[in-house]
Amino acid sequence: MTTRDRDYGDLLVLMALAGFTLWYLFDAIRVSSAVQNLLLILPLALIVLAIVLLELVMRLRKGTLLARPDAEPLRQTLPVVGLFAAYVMSLETLGFDVATVLFIAAFLVLKGERNWLLLGGYSVAFGFGVAFFFALMLPYPMHMLILQG
Amino acid sequence: MIDFTAVEQGLNLLFTDFSPWLVVVPGIIIGLIFGATPGLQISMAMAIFLPMTLYMDFVQAMLFLTAIFTGGSFGSGIPAILMNIPGTSSAIATAFDGYPMARQGRHNQALGIALASSVIGVLMGYMILFVMIQPLSLMVLRLGPAEMFAVILWGMTLIASLKGEQVLKGLIAGFVGLLVGTIGFNELGMARGTMGQTYLLDGVPVIPAMMGMFAASELFKLANKGFIVESEASRKVRISEIFAGFKMACRYPWVMIRGGLIGVFVGAVPGVGSSVSNLLSYVETQRRDPDPASFGKGNPKGVVASESANSTSEAGSMATLLALGIPGGGATAVMLAAFAMHNITGGPQFIRQQTDVVYAIIFANFAQVFLLVAVGLLFIPLLANIIKVPMRYLIPSVLVLAVMGSFGLTGNMTGPATVLIFAVVGWLFRHYGYSVPAMVIGMLLGAMAEKSLLHSHQISGGDITYLFERPVAMGIMVLMLVSLFGRPLIARLGRKRSVSTDASS
Repeated sequence: MTTRDRDYGDLLVLMALAGFTLWYLFDAIRVSSAVQNLLLILPLALIVLAIVLLELVMRLRKGTLLARPDAEPLRQTLPVVGLFAAYVMSLETLGFDVATVLFIAAFLVLKGERNWLLLGGYSVAFGFGVAFFFALMLPYPMHMLILQG
Repeated sequence: MIDFTAVEQGLNLLFTDFSPWLVVVPGIIIGLIFGATPGLQISMAMAIFLPMTLYMDFVQAMLFLTAIFTGGSFGSGIPAILMNIPGTSSAIATAFDGYPMARQGRHNQALGIALASSVIGVLMGYMILFVMIQPLSLMVLRLGPAEMFAVILWGMTLIASLKGEQVLKGLIAGFVGLLVGTIGFNELGMARGTMGQTYLLDGVPVIPAMMGMFAASELFKLANKGFIVESEASRKVRISEIFAGFKMACRYPWVMIRGGLIGVFVGAVPGVGSSVSNLLSYVETQRRDPDPASFGKGNPKGVVASESANSTSEAGSMATLLALGIPGGGATAVMLAAFAMHNITGGPQFIRQQTDVVYAIIFANFAQVFLLVAVGLLFIPLLANIIKVPMRYLIPSVLVLAVMGSFGLTGNMTGPATVLIFAVVGWLFRHYGYSVPAMVIGMLLGAMAEKSLLHSHQISGGDITYLFERPVAMGIMVLMLVSLFGRPLIARLGRKRSVSTDASS
């Protein structure tokens, strides 16, 4: 296996799952070591850790520990994931109305839409329309920048 | 088993006056819209429209609410098929094969199958309810927490081992999901895994997490595609194909009957309901099929199994509500509120004293089935046009719906943040071959599993031999072991036998 064929992502995901399990187990023990508190968490965490170990051993034996999966590389989707993350994080600042319009417009530009009229029209109509609908339907206040006024 | 005088009185209640029927079609439409909109729940629709039932008499109110329930249980399958977003947790398994069917250009068929299975499921469920309401109520009382825990663990193991070649990864995903599902306060008031965040005290919001893992992560994967269905010719919405799908569902009567029975009995267990029954039915159908590998790749039987089970669950949960006064889930909890608004208490006495009303509700649901066919056939072509939308428009629109819907569920930024976190988790899971459904179901059932185990522990006083006094729980545990180790063991034995035969020859 050459360096280019290697993919550490799978191993990292496995380690992250084992890490989460260990952290959660210790957090539960920290809260209380009473049987009632650990009745499900302790055995389940131990089972998860045992399966992770088994998976590691099996992959080591097969020589597939760092094998690259047969799927589209993650970096091709990364801009979309980043854009979505930016959208969610901007909701409190830009409001559901403006953030949604900007997110849709940015996504369309990213994916090659060059009909500016359609792009602008759709982003504004859908973004404001959905934000307005949900604001109307939901019993909680939704942060808006323009529609609120 | 059937009180024929009450049957006659029930029919009189429904047909002496036309007014109870006026609310049925609006109810179905409301249910369809809420079910088909990701993030809007059937229980939310029922809660929003509950105040309207104050102006109705009890039978009319029940007809209205059950119509929303019926429309919603079918409606939730529509986005599951077209966008891989189960409108509610009861349509998770519908997406397993419905969405691959849509991607192959068989969306019309898949929608027709879902409609037929839902319709026949509701019909079958209420027929079973009609005959079994009294014995069923007695049976439900016998299921204790030990049996509940066994059912959850069995379902979980079956789901986690669905991906044949990656069983270990499936089990890791499922069990980590169960752990995530226990985050927050337990029954004893101890908060675990909250990292000091008050938002997590009630646990991880499961439906936003489900939206992130199922919908957003799948949409990330499709971001570089032009359309859901690549071939232009396959994107057409054809009523004839929807009808063909409708007929196709009838080719699998056993799948439907099995789904129906699972739906009624699991649906009758309080707190479990249609979220589990659709998965159990799916897994059982796959397990018994001669070609289990075809599931998850667009096998129509998968859609039939899921939709028939989640529709019959409605009747199951109604049985528990009517017979015991215990709601099986969110939707029946709202109905219980409607009971209270009309000064009616569900339970054995209600069944005994107002049997005519119970039968009237059941008969009205028979009629709702036919109305659902008509309304469903009108609405499907409208909703199915979604596949003609280019992905660059569909993806941001659906992501926005998921974000807004998740905000609607939590009432604060926890919902959208949960969608984002679990979208990334789901994206990595899909890429590296971990089972996304197993993790989601684990999260759904985690708290319930812990509660059932805790109650069993309290009842037994920590004595493990208590399990031996629970034959049903033991039976389910044995079934779980057989379904987990049975097939690999038989395969290994078969291989050994063929090796020894080769050696001797």
